[in-house]
Amino acid sequence: MAKEYETFARERAKILSGKEVVLTLRELSPGRKKYRGVNVRCVVSRPPRPGEPALWIRSVVGLRDPEPCSVSIVEELPEMFQAAPYSDFFEATERAERR
Amino acid sequence: MAQQAPQDFRSFLAAIRATGDLITIDEQVDWDQELAGIGRLSCERNGPAFQFNNVKDYAPQWRVATNPIATWRRMAVAFGLPADTPVPKLYETYAARESNPIPPVVVKDGPCKEVVIAHDKVDLFDLPVPMVHEGDGGRYVGTWDLVVSKDARSNWVNWGMYRFMIHNERLITGFPRPTSHLGKMLLDGYVPNKRPMPIAIAMGCDPLSHLAATATFRIGGNEADLAGGLRERPVELVKCETSDLQVPASAEVVIEAEVYPDRINQEGPYGEYPGYRSGEIGNALCARVTAITHRRDPIWTLDTTGFMDSSATTTSITGAIAIQRRLEANGVPVKAVYVPPEGAVHLAIVSVRSGGTEVARKIVDVLTVRRALISKIIVVDEDVDVFNLPAVLHAFATKCHPARGIHVTNYVGRANTLTPAYTQEERVTRTGASVAFDSTWPPEWPADATPVRATLDSMYSPEVQRRVLERWRSLGLQ
Repeated sequence: MAKEYETFARERAKILSGKEVVLTLRELSPGRKKYRGVNVRCVVSRPPRPGEPALWIRSVVGLRDPEPCSVSIVEELPEMFQAAPYSDFFEATERAERR
Repeated sequence: MAQQAPQDFRSFLAAIRATGDLITIDEQVDWDQELAGIGRLSCERNGPAFQFNNVKDYAPQWRVATNPIATWRRMAVAFGLPADTPVPKLYETYAARESNPIPPVVVKDGPCKEVVIAHDKVDLFDLPVPMVHEGDGGRYVGTWDLVVSKDARSNWVNWGMYRFMIHNERLITGFPRPTSHLGKMLLDGYVPNKRPMPIAIAMGCDPLSHLAATATFRIGGNEADLAGGLRERPVELVKCETSDLQVPASAEVVIEAEVYPDRINQEGPYGEYPGYRSGEIGNALCARVTAITHRRDPIWTLDTTGFMDSSATTTSITGAIAIQRRLEANGVPVKAVYVPPEGAVHLAIVSVRSGGTEVARKIVDVLTVRRALISKIIVVDEDVDVFNLPAVLHAFATKCHPARGIHVTNYVGRANTLTPAYTQEERVTRTGASVAFDSTWPPEWPADATPVRATLDSMYSPEVQRRVLERWRSLGLQ
């Protein structure tokens, strides 16, 4: 079964810019590990590219954008981001993008 | 007749099964939304609790129970009272027992240690953690929990109920708010010294211990003492495997973890107790699980959060009594306080012996001084029964002056980020406001010119009242 992910975005346009972005993806494969998180550097495409895992984008209130995307994972990142508790997660991912 | 309050989760389940308030489902149910959806519908229909004995993808020794005390009937059973005990009596019981705290006792072993899984052997996906709502950020382990943490500089031990989401096999992210007692401990005592903060998430304790964890308790107060008072017996605590924290020995499952002082991960969004998923996402803490201990045949517990979940009843009691105590301490002539479950912990009704602008303003100021969970307060005169919502609504609609009766307090840095009415920017800066609706008669109005309520008990002579009530009863009417 082809891999499928979802991600939560504050700025959807940035994710869809075609540039490399840092995201937390949630795995959607059925079974015990469904919704497992993985932090990645990736490129998101819309319309989806053949052969790439599907990606669904959700808003900050969890609503799913009905238009599908695909994701090409460039590299898997460390499982946490460096920042103090309660720091803004999206700013932390932007800092990781600049490295 | 009052009985002993259930001293562990299993005896509580047996008690609510006996009163007809627990339904057991043996057919397979999917942990992915279906299970929580059943619990959610039950909350919305004032229905029973559920115990699921066959959860998809998980071995049969794992069972899942939902919404332990989301109704007043189940709350009454948790107190050891008859299921049909009236709400004011539940408030009285809580207030009386809260005044007699009983310290916990430490024991060497307990049922929560029957299975111990530590360090690299830990895999959070081995737990049957339900996906509560479609569109949540992930699977939440902490929806009905008791999270233990300890102040870095004193003996203060905090119990709180906070949400935690699974990130991967060993990482969780959580949203105890920065203004919560856990958040305060973390930010004041551990982050400045770059020390990890141990926590323990206990699941499936006796319901009054969880109730104590939800209580708005004073800084420096140990909720374990409060739990002992509510149970009328001390809580038995047992030491954790990987820290010096102590947890209720009867817990079904305990997750031990360390909160990072310098690492984060995505957390949320999550459909919360106000009844909405409001977009609070990505301002959380991250913790590594160091051990999981549990009974041999554990029962996982969750609250299917949203409108009328367990927090609606628990905070109705604990919040109202805390508000009453605080107002009394600040010299407000308060008679009674009710936090209606339908108000999702955003609305309080306060009756006072003497009202007016000054009193209404003082109430809203006192209740927002450190953190502001309640955003609307209806202040009524003492002749209005705070538990009688039609009477409260009548007083609000008729006695609150549409301009002079509304008293707003604005604040920054202590607003409730889960309040759906706030913008995303207000959430981030914790900017908000609370309002008191003064529905009392101005004390300066002379009694002989103050409107008289057109009810049987106010606008009829005692003799006519007596005859009317006699006639009423003779007709067989209630």
